[in-house]
Amino acid sequence: MQIGICVKYCGGCNPIIDRAKLVQEIKKLLSPEFILSDGQTQEQWDIGILVCGCLTACANKPDFKNSAVKWILVAGHSVDHNNVPEKELASIVLAKLK
Amino acid sequence: MALKTAEQYEESLRKMNLKVYLLGELVKNPVDNPIIRPSMNSVKMTYSLAQDPQHEDLMTAKSHLTGEKINRFCHLHQSTEDLVKKVKMQRLMGQKTGACFQRCVGMDAINAVDSVTFEMDKKLGTKYHERFIKFLKMIQKEDLVVDGAMTDPKGDRGLSPGKQEDPDLYTHVVEKRKEGIIVRGAKAHQTGAINSHWILVMPTIAMSKEDADYAVSFVAPADAEGISYIYGRQSCDTRKLEGCEIDVGNRQFGGHEALMVFDNLFVPWENVFMCGEYEFSGALVERFAGYHRQSYGGCKVGVGDVLIGAAALAADYNGASKAPHIKDKLIEMIHLNETLFSCGIACSAQGHKTDSGTYLIDLLLANVCKQNVTRFPYEIARLAEDISGGAMVTMASEKDLRHPEIGKLVEKYFKGIASVPTENRCRILRLVENITLGTAAVGYRTESMHGAGSPQAQRIMISRQGNLEQKKKLAKEIAGIKD
Repeated sequence: MQIGICVKYCGGCNPIIDRAKLVQEIKKLLSPEFILSDGQTQEQWDIGILVCGCLTACANKPDFKNSAVKWILVAGHSVDHNNVPEKELASIVLAKLK
Repeated sequence: MALKTAEQYEESLRKMNLKVYLLGELVKNPVDNPIIRPSMNSVKMTYSLAQDPQHEDLMTAKSHLTGEKINRFCHLHQSTEDLVKKVKMQRLMGQKTGACFQRCVGMDAINAVDSVTFEMDKKLGTKYHERFIKFLKMIQKEDLVVDGAMTDPKGDRGLSPGKQEDPDLYTHVVEKRKEGIIVRGAKAHQTGAINSHWILVMPTIAMSKEDADYAVSFVAPADAEGISYIYGRQSCDTRKLEGCEIDVGNRQFGGHEALMVFDNLFVPWENVFMCGEYEFSGALVERFAGYHRQSYGGCKVGVGDVLIGAAALAADYNGASKAPHIKDKLIEMIHLNETLFSCGIACSAQGHKTDSGTYLIDLLLANVCKQNVTRFPYEIARLAEDISGGAMVTMASEKDLRHPEIGKLVEKYFKGIASVPTENRCRILRLVENITLGTAAVGYRTESMHGAGSPQAQRIMISRQGNLEQKKKLAKEIAGIKD
């Protein structure tokens, strides 16, 4: 069974992490059953990853939360509000996908 | 199509027929003119970032008029969150261009004209707001650039518009016809005018009854018959004609201003949003200025980010980055830059709803924001020059660096640390030069001083909005004074 993941970004006005690089790292680590998308379509996804450049996470609003069953929030050096070293961000997100 | 691509924007400009004079000549093709093109690239970036999933959350908004996804530069702010996102978008744009990206002035104009025309119609029974909304829907649908045009040449500053020796020194209505109005005059310092599809003209000051002909607001296509532009010179602008990329500092992006002249411009009534209602001219000026003073808490911060980064790299390349005073100067630059951002965010978060539903910033805080902008970029620029060292203005040219004989001397004697090529050091020092005293200094320095109103204009507003009587009451209460 394939699992669809959508990625949404904050606007990126002053990011303290490289958001695009992080998504690339996550993509590389994903096993084949996961399909990563930019979330531009209206379909419902199994999992959403909201990638925000800083702890403010201003894009973390209810507007689009219905577009995925489960959301993982990356906000600066944190995943779901837990601080983590930048180099571990991708692996921690990956662990939450499973 | 509510979002144009960057390429579609460029093509749309090619179809226009603007009458632009630059260095004494009529420009046949402004889009490809090497002096003008970098400014077009900056506006173009407002289109490409809106298409980028990594930035669309800031760069786009949902139109409250149509429900369509639109470029935020065409949006009327519907909440304080919209006002905050506006500032963040402007910071992002400053970071991506290192220059003035010109589209803010139209966004600020549409937001000011919306609430003022709504209130005019409510009080006077006019139809200006209805006309304005029709215009705005077209702008949103076509994703067009609007140049908000406020500043008149003003001639003798000691005289009111009607008392000037030459009446055209303030833009005014010279004739009212059944089909529309005839306008004469000019607008000075028009940011991004050559890269705009439409112009939105507003009065320059609060007008009195005797100057009612000067209380005029309208829109016109930027290439309408009767409008011409005289392009503003910038420091070091002709370096762009030399065919080099290092010496220009920022080879891709820039900004521009122009003098916009109205020579008996005909404007049909459907495009007129104020014509003689002088009692509303002050509100329009105040709101536009307020929004634009908020804007500077975003755009200048983004350019400041680039300048701070350039200064830090210059220190790295000079081998000076570990010196405590260099570290401290970079901290000071960041502190000043983030203070400006704080002001931009604060006046947005403290915004409020107007009668039309469009949100307005906190005017006191927006004026405090701009007052700081008249000072801090100068200090940030001073520190950038301090850190960079004198080579930023004494360095040899790119042609000397590439020269088959003396190139090796330039390579040898302009070298910093061994691990960094001389060319990279030259590039970063030229970028500092560009922002602090080259073409981009127009936007980063003098525009910070005078754009959106000179410092004294903010001090007048701070005085009006400062609630001094309340502060006196507080002091009396604490001091035990009973009147």
